[in-house]
Amino acid sequence: MQIIDKDRPSPELIASMRKRFEVEREVDRALTYKMEKRSGPAYTKLPLETLVAGLKSLIASQLKEPFEISNAHWLAGGASKLQVGFDLAWNRPGVGRETTRMVLRNDLAEALHATSRLREFQIVKALTGTIPMPPVFWVDNTGEHLPYPAIVYGFVNGVTKPSNAKSGVTGLGTYLPEDVRNKLSPQFVAHMAKMHTFDFSKAELSAFDVPQLGKQNAEWVVNWWDRVWAEDAQEEVPLMALASSWLHKNAPAVEHLSIVHGDFRTGNYLFNEADTRITTWLDWELSRIGDRHQDLAWSTSHAFSVLGEDGKTLLVSGLMPETQFLEEYEKASGLKVDKKALHYYQVFNAYSMIGMTLGTSYRVARNGKSHQDILLAWLLGVGYMLLDEMRGLIEKGV
Amino acid sequence: MEMRPQFQIQTIIKAMTEDVIPALDQTNQLAMQSAQLTIGTLMLISQHLPLEYRYDCDELTRLVATAEVLKSQAKAGETTSAAVACLKETARSGADVLSRARAEPAEILDAIHKLRASTSDIVRAVYAEGSEAAQSAVQATVLAMSKDQLLRDRSWLLMQGWEPDPKAVPAIDTLLAPIAKG
Repeated sequence: MQIIDKDRPSPELIASMRKRFEVEREVDRALTYKMEKRSGPAYTKLPLETLVAGLKSLIASQLKEPFEISNAHWLAGGASKLQVGFDLAWNRPGVGRETTRMVLRNDLAEALHATSRLREFQIVKALTGTIPMPPVFWVDNTGEHLPYPAIVYGFVNGVTKPSNAKSGVTGLGTYLPEDVRNKLSPQFVAHMAKMHTFDFSKAELSAFDVPQLGKQNAEWVVNWWDRVWAEDAQEEVPLMALASSWLHKNAPAVEHLSIVHGDFRTGNYLFNEADTRITTWLDWELSRIGDRHQDLAWSTSHAFSVLGEDGKTLLVSGLMPETQFLEEYEKASGLKVDKKALHYYQVFNAYSMIGMTLGTSYRVARNGKSHQDILLAWLLGVGYMLLDEMRGLIEKGV
Repeated sequence: MEMRPQFQIQTIIKAMTEDVIPALDQTNQLAMQSAQLTIGTLMLISQHLPLEYRYDCDELTRLVATAEVLKSQAKAGETTSAAVACLKETARSGADVLSRARAEPAEILDAIHKLRASTSDIVRAVYAEGSEAAQSAVQATVLAMSKDQLLRDRSWLLMQGWEPDPKAVPAIDTLLAPIAKG
């Protein structure tokens, strides 16, 4: 039996992965970048000064006039990014001299998602004005200025959950009080509907490939996670082989292409506690042009659901019952929810989350590539519950 | 099962070294000493874990061999005879355990990995070129095997708190079959 050293991938292994799995060009670039860097050093704590120096270099490459960075400080950034808050005194185009609060989101030596900062930059720009989006300023897609690829956002006020709410690690399964969820639910549905009906054809989205109507979309996205699993997983899991085969065999045709967020759930938007208004949508790194059912299925995943006060009703993303969510989505978007496609993407989403947890989390922590290896090692435990959820979905059928 | 102590210990040591110890009051000698000892103990555990089973089998082998020698040497009064009888029984029992302990944990794990991989290859091959009937049959078999295995995996990690209904998952010691006696 051939032994593959995934910790030190050879050029031949990297080339074989690229050949085996047809994915979008920028997805391929990000995954290849990950594999080419993998045998490099583990993550070591970066001094704040190093990031500020990189930031200066990035901003200087974009601005002709003088600027000053001050008040740089670490922000909590979750398991997949380093985040630094800072103030920039500059001559802001169209505004004039001002000091703007900003956030640098910097990749790690290897992260939970090997994704493209350029795609993130483009999608945020494209959807600005359609749904609440953070201001985005600059991107360093290949780590030219900073130690790792990075993106600079404007700071947005808001919280991911009420100050007194309970939630698990990384905000999964957040409990929201009834009055809060009654105000957030219509916004959640309306924003998803607006995103899925947004005309992306004229937007600058050159880092995205547009699949043809039909099955190509599903093929691409399953290939993406097939490749992540092949590159990252330590142990084969027969159920994953079955799920991949099932997903390729049952790929649904998409009749309407949409911008897909890829991680549309409570925990990935900020809202004002005072008026419960959603101020911005975050975490666009998994976004793509594809099938709306991918987002619908993601939002309805049990991993992000919580039980209501009656102890029986499962609330989608902690907000509302699934039937209500889907009915209101159809009304708001004018797009139908196809139960078969929804089921397909429920299986797919479980498949991708298992890839992230049992595959990528393990590989990143094993090689000491992040600032929170212990969190990643803890998170991979959810993979077994997800495997069982996926098993049940395949067994049950539509 | 990816969640294994050696992998987990590595991440604990890193978190302790890079995050926890630097944040401690460096003048608090008790806290600093305890933190360093925590790391040291974890490193020791990490070194011992892969060898623990071999270490114990090695000692058991030596004790069984020594018992064989002692049985013929220990000739004295009634107390000695009683002790020899007891030694014979524990040596027989020890030899039985040894005869069943032929594979090392790493070999078992390696066999698991190889079977997982070849099972996965079968699934992919049947989906690539098999009939509908063959695909359905393979799907049913893999789903059934996975159902049993995943119940154990979920129980193994019950304490982590991922389960929406933890009471529905049996305790791990009730799910694992005991190693059969020869």
